[in-house]
Amino acid sequence: MAAPARPSATAAAAPAAVNRRVLLVGLFVVAPLIAILLLNLGRDPHSIRSPLVGRPAPAFSLVPAGGGPPVTSEALKGRPLVLNFWATWCAPCLEEHEVLVRTASALQGEVRFLGVVYEDEEDRVRAFLQRHGSSYPSLLDPEAKAAIAYGVAGVPETYFIDAAGVIQAKVAYPLSAQTMAENVRKVRP
Amino acid sequence: MRRWLAAVLVLAALAAGAVAQGRGEDPARVVGPPRGPRLQGAALDARTAEVAALLRCPVCQGLSVADSPSTMASNMRGHVKELVAAGYDEDQILAYFERSYGEFVRLKPPLRGVNWLVWMAPVMGLLLGAAVIAWALRAPRPAPAAAGAHEKPGPVEDVPGPDSLPADPALARYVLRVRERAYGWPGGVSPSRDATASAAPAAPAPGSGA
Amino acid sequence: MIAAAGRVFILLALLVSSAGAVAGFAAARRGSAAGWRLTRVLAYAFAASMAAANALMVWALLARDFSVSYVAHVGSRSVPDWVAVVSLWSSLEGSILFWGLVLGAYVTAATRANRARHPEYMPYAAAVWLACGAFFSFLLAGPAQPFLTVPHPPADGPGPNPLLQNHVLMVVHPPFLYLGYVGMTIPFGLASAALLRGRLGHDFIRPLRDWLLLPWIFLTVAIVLGGWWAYEVLGWGGYWAWDPVENASFLPWLTATAALHSALLTERKGVLKGWTVTLVLATFLLTILGTFMTRSGVFNSVHSFTQSAIGPTILVFLALSLVWSVGLLAARIDRLSAEGRLEGSASRDGMFLVNNLLFVLLTFTILIGTVFPLVVEATRGVQMSVGRPYFDRMAVPIGVALLLLMGVGPALPWGRATPDQLKRALLPPVVGALAAAAAAALLGVRAPWTLVALAFGGYTAQVTLRELWLPVARRRAQGAGLRQALVESPLRQGRRRTAAYVVHAGAVLVVVAIAVSSTMGTSKELQLREGETATLGAYTLTFLKAEQVREPHRESLVARIAVARGGRDLGILTPRMNHYESQREPVGTPAVRTSLFEDLYLSVMNIDASQGTVGLLAMVNPMVAWIWAAAAVMALGGLAALLPGRRGAAAPARVESRGPAPSRVAAEG
Repeated sequence: MAAPARPSATAAAAPAAVNRRVLLVGLFVVAPLIAILLLNLGRDPHSIRSPLVGRPAPAFSLVPAGGGPPVTSEALKGRPLVLNFWATWCAPCLEEHEVLVRTASALQGEVRFLGVVYEDEEDRVRAFLQRHGSSYPSLLDPEAKAAIAYGVAGVPETYFIDAAGVIQAKVAYPLSAQTMAENVRKVRP
Repeated sequence: MRRWLAAVLVLAALAAGAVAQGRGEDPARVVGPPRGPRLQGAALDARTAEVAALLRCPVCQGLSVADSPSTMASNMRGHVKELVAAGYDEDQILAYFERSYGEFVRLKPPLRGVNWLVWMAPVMGLLLGAAVIAWALRAPRPAPAAAGAHEKPGPVEDVPGPDSLPADPALARYVLRVRERAYGWPGGVSPSRDATASAAPAAPAPGSGA
Repeated sequence: MIAAAGRVFILLALLVSSAGAVAGFAAARRGSAAGWRLTRVLAYAFAASMAAANALMVWALLARDFSVSYVAHVGSRSVPDWVAVVSLWSSLEGSILFWGLVLGAYVTAATRANRARHPEYMPYAAAVWLACGAFFSFLLAGPAQPFLTVPHPPADGPGPNPLLQNHVLMVVHPPFLYLGYVGMTIPFGLASAALLRGRLGHDFIRPLRDWLLLPWIFLTVAIVLGGWWAYEVLGWGGYWAWDPVENASFLPWLTATAALHSALLTERKGVLKGWTVTLVLATFLLTILGTFMTRSGVFNSVHSFTQSAIGPTILVFLALSLVWSVGLLAARIDRLSAEGRLEGSASRDGMFLVNNLLFVLLTFTILIGTVFPLVVEATRGVQMSVGRPYFDRMAVPIGVALLLLMGVGPALPWGRATPDQLKRALLPPVVGALAAAAAAALLGVRAPWTLVALAFGGYTAQVTLRELWLPVARRRAQGAGLRQALVESPLRQGRRRTAAYVVHAGAVLVVVAIAVSSTMGTSKELQLREGETATLGAYTLTFLKAEQVREPHRESLVARIAVARGGRDLGILTPRMNHYESQREPVGTPAVRTSLFEDLYLSVMNIDASQGTVGLLAMVNPMVAWIWAAAAVMALGGLAALLPGRRGAAAPARVESRGPAPSRVAAEG
């Protein structure tokens, strides 16, 4: 005669074993997520590194503000070049204008300086240059073709190109005397 | 004859304009000669919009060149239109902008390196999920009693839901009457269930004694 | 003075919430009623401290007390008072302070409503809530202090970000968002309590579902308000850009919706207990992830704040919460055993599972897409984007599938069904599908996905309307008049059911409106001189003049555009380009003319008052207003589902207003 089956007295009281599957799935989801977020703390997502650094500078052929024949990038090879994208409506450009003009005069003959005007008008540019003076020419880029070729996202942006025509540095914020000196050193042997 | 002359004049004007205004660089030096057909008219506009929607406007947050109202985006749209009109295909145009701005400018992740993961993961997720559902809906396990072994049946808490009935027929009749009284369900059966006429146990006529 | 008082209240909040968490756990372990009472008192004290701190901050903002660091950061004498109040949540520290206020209000409401119920669960739940409260108090006392004393208070402050002052929606969107986001803490506590206790009884599912539904309603409204704000303010004519922070608000909504459906199965059949609990936990975790994404500065987004010490702190909390959730689930999920069974795959049961699969898949996909640029940066060292083309490609099929599922699911019977029953259930709504598709084709819809979406929408609309009509028909069959049947049936019997179908109806409208507005719009770039006219579709736009408008905080160039359609004059629209003193780039404000079926949307690209020229981006966006209206329908449906049921059924108290308002305890039958 079979004794009535007794429900296991320990079933209700004993704690169930840890569900390994849940633990594994949880680990598989949690660990990579935390790792990725941790690794990226401290990076600034808004500063985009330029892919052109170390690559040949894109070609251009632009007319100077004030008239004259177009200036081509080909003709500029052989001497280091500082190419500065700016605009009259850009307040930080005014801040760095002083630094650029001074450095350009100081390095006259050794390093060429060129401005490229971004999304602006010729008369405004000429008025600006008349008022604030300049020791180097500025070129007009009417449909932002050159800006697009150089990967310009805003102004001011400055490219430091060596004598062989390779971009050695890009600075996407207003230049100070110090950053100017640092970067010119990269293109000036 | 007149059309040919017009074409020559237009080309001459363009050339003159190009000389007078200065030029950007020739895209062919970057991405090779145009690989696709030259487009114009509505086809040109449509294709421009398509390609522009794949480029990220570098000054706006996350918007495509097609969507963004900024002047930079407008310039880029113009550039894309020229490239499309000249016959460059989508890959070439994207490559041209990528040369200047980096992989950042492509809104659709290209299949390189670890990028495949972002395209495959949803598919793998779908397959995995479908497998889990199939497993969950498979034939019932043989021991339903064991499933309830951990839980002590409580007095009030384990009332069956609106769709299950007790096994005992007399009890089931009472439950149906209670439902009829409490919810107003005729015959104690939920109206939505009744409408689809699923296999519900035959309900006693309302009002008849059990 | 205010700064010091504020700091005191925050420290007090930290103290009582920590003590309350400990007390709650102890009370639950020992089953002590006195312990539960102590926990309740501490919970109310936490809420009161947070409320006091917030009140002090609002006072400081209104009084322009620049000795308080946060006021020095965002206050300004030149902005109106309402902007000063809104500044409370406009910037980092203030928004966390506001989070604490909302959390305190929710904890008060949930504690008070359940003070005499579920004694085996509640102390655990309250402990978890107060632990979260302690974390946010810690943030306010440490990395994100709003009440620092400024030693030399400036004479004036910069004011909040000008983009945030542009539109009234900015006043409403963040509070709703917080009411949704923060509210998810409550079901998290309840779910944790069920796991800690080792059981999820049938009577506890209802409060879990209700306290999930309330924040869900707010979150639904908040997400749509965010889209509406983007549409009216940002000027690109769209309402959703798959921006990381937008996605962050959307992810918890998806899992919460899945959880609501899963909870329905749990309530009816006693199945999927562990899965429902998992979804609820995931919802809370996604809100913490979302807040990390917004505040850490790690993601490239419109909304991002600059990086600070807050990011790592929230990350630590996220990690701890994840460990807590996974650990608790692993240890206790097996105890939540099912009381019933899912039957049949071609049944409503199966469709609920498919619903969950699709929602979870969508969540997973959007999460991966949003986080992926970080993965690539860490592995390939390259900065790349995952943008709209990716998300649209993934989300559209899933969204359309869900649209169909909303029709197929309710059409199918519960449990196993014969092929004949299936046919009778699934075939009739095809009429609706075909009608909708035909109408769409006639109206010029050609995009394939839009046609599919409209066809599925027709199918689901027919099913939903039929389900809404069913109880009315039944009541009439019993002899009631039409009006009586219309009023009685949805409101008395099966109110939850009716409410659910109202939400579905709203959802169908939203998906269809999104499909149409995304694909059927037209846009044109126009360059106009003063006096020139251009046409866009049926509209005639005449550029009248460009005006310069000077306001205390900005200078704007306004383009006055006369609009006419079919010869009828429709008034003047004034899109503008604003130059704010504190911003480098000008910010445009579009002008939108909303009518029943479409919006005329004008955005200024460039404008020159001296030369009298304007560059406009002109668009006609169809059915956009329907999205906002349909979302309101969904919210109302959700509210209806929350209201107390029939007299006689146990009716837990509900909170029917937002903020620290007294709760109304419904009569218990």
